[in-house]
Amino acid sequence: MHEIRLAWLFFRVGAMNELQYRVNFFLQLFQSVLAIGTGLVSLWLIFSHTSSLHGWNPAQLLIVMGVFTLMGGVIQTTIQPNMTQLIEDVQQGTFDYVLTKPADAQVLASIRRVEIWQSVDVLTGVIIVLIGVLRLQSQFGIGRAVTFLLMLVVGALLIYCFWMILTTLAFWVTSMWHLVELFAGVYNAGRYPVGIYPGWLRYGLTVVVPVAFAVTVPSEALTGRLDTKTVLGAVALSLILVTITRVFWSFGLRRYSGASA
Amino acid sequence: MVKPVIHVDQLTKTYVIPEREGGLKAALRSLVHRKWRDVKAVDHISFDIQPGEVVGFLGPNGAGKTTTLKMLSGLLHPTSGEVTVLGFVPQRRDKAYLKQITLVMGNRNQLQWDLPALDSFELNRAIYRIPTRQFRETRDEFIELLDLQDLVRKPVRNLSLGERMKVEIAASLLQRPQVLYLDEPTIGLDVTMQARIRSFIAEYNRRHDATVLLTSHYMADVEALCKRVIVIHHGHLLFDGSLADLVARFAAFKTIGVTLEDTSADLSRYGEIMSVDSDRVTLRVPKTETPRVTARLLADLPVMDLTVEEPLIEDVIRQVFAQEAPLEELPA
Repeated sequence: MHEIRLAWLFFRVGAMNELQYRVNFFLQLFQSVLAIGTGLVSLWLIFSHTSSLHGWNPAQLLIVMGVFTLMGGVIQTTIQPNMTQLIEDVQQGTFDYVLTKPADAQVLASIRRVEIWQSVDVLTGVIIVLIGVLRLQSQFGIGRAVTFLLMLVVGALLIYCFWMILTTLAFWVTSMWHLVELFAGVYNAGRYPVGIYPGWLRYGLTVVVPVAFAVTVPSEALTGRLDTKTVLGAVALSLILVTITRVFWSFGLRRYSGASA
Repeated sequence: MVKPVIHVDQLTKTYVIPEREGGLKAALRSLVHRKWRDVKAVDHISFDIQPGEVVGFLGPNGAGKTTTLKMLSGLLHPTSGEVTVLGFVPQRRDKAYLKQITLVMGNRNQLQWDLPALDSFELNRAIYRIPTRQFRETRDEFIELLDLQDLVRKPVRNLSLGERMKVEIAASLLQRPQVLYLDEPTIGLDVTMQARIRSFIAEYNRRHDATVLLTSHYMADVEALCKRVIVIHHGHLLFDGSLADLVARFAAFKTIGVTLEDTSADLSRYGEIMSVDSDRVTLRVPKTETPRVTARLLADLPVMDLTVEEPLIEDVIRQVFAQEAPLEELPA
């Protein structure tokens, strides 16, 4: 498909762009190690007092931490840079160049930027997940692995839609800069299974900002806590949200070009 | 008669903008109760452009040039009126349409900043799905025409403004568009670089028989490239015709240069003195007065040399923009 080929090309160019700044690699590595270090320390602190946190044992929480790091890496490698670029382009008028290209504008706006060094987090996340899986003292089958991967994709899609809808608001409100910090703050809550939070917060992290779907649900898939109903629900939800995002985006575009005025 | 490439009929664009006075109080008030005001950026403009024409689109800042270009390239929806380009309605943003046009904005960059331009070229090849062979041909043709051999291998950020513009234009034309919208492509460039870009545009137009609509504040661009100009002001169409006609119609003055044997003579009673350069005096005289003033000068004074010149196009244009009146009220 043409769009996928385009995405790959942009990924390559984005990677080449970033590869020129090798210092960023070491900075990111350092940051990643630091984050994981503090994460491990807090896990150790928790489990020196108890053997299970809301039903999650150490190995399982390690998996949550791994998924959290992995998904954070995915967000910062692709989703976040593209969305900030989009906000900037709308503000400066360079978004016109996206619209004059004979390609789907939403796709183009979503694949243009890649911050390749952020993918260090993806790698470390995968390693932590693997260590967690090896330490799980339960049987682990191919079914779980597949569900896990599916839920990861669904989680990433939901986060993308969440960002995209907020970013589309830039067509109305041109200054949307606090979005990044706001999201980072909320996303941090995802380092623990959302089940440990009080009801209102759990609800918010599931429905308002889909952090639960991005981190907790894939972790549940990997630790065998997920039932088929939730899996189907998550897939359905992602399809619905993708559609809503698309509709809202077209609405925003019409606003941008003054068709609604 | 050939079907026009660009057909614009009674095109109008109205922006609705928030209106408020300065100061904190007004700012607070507008939070609660916002007043809106209609601004007509483009007001019932009509014109046709034939295939292969290079048309200069002139007007002061805020005249509605960019708004019109944006409507033509499908970025803005017209409030009313009709536009068709190559048989397409631009605002529908058909891929088949977008493939055949290009929009270049001189003050904005669309190349990958940290990479050599060749990589951006590759991206455009993918976006426009240019066949490999045609892509290589066009790319090499542009590299040669614009002398880009060394430039396309350097990261764009290391290029000078002029070099960047050359590369930018090359990147924007790789798909060999039939219609070019160039919004101040030479802005901020030095004279040599302007000339270079100009001759490239002329060459592209000649080789590919492309239609070009160009805005520029540099009259040299317009004089060199455009047989026809369209002048808009305050959203209205003021003039549509050849550059020579524009001068003939709007130039109210001519300049008379006189060299005298006796430099002490006072010439201010013959016309407005524009400059005095040792023994040569330049006068500005109303066009209709020119023959009379010339005759009087020759009769009254010991004239060694006398020339009558059309004013600079820049001056004519400035004069056109200085007037507020719409078309109907102008002397024909």
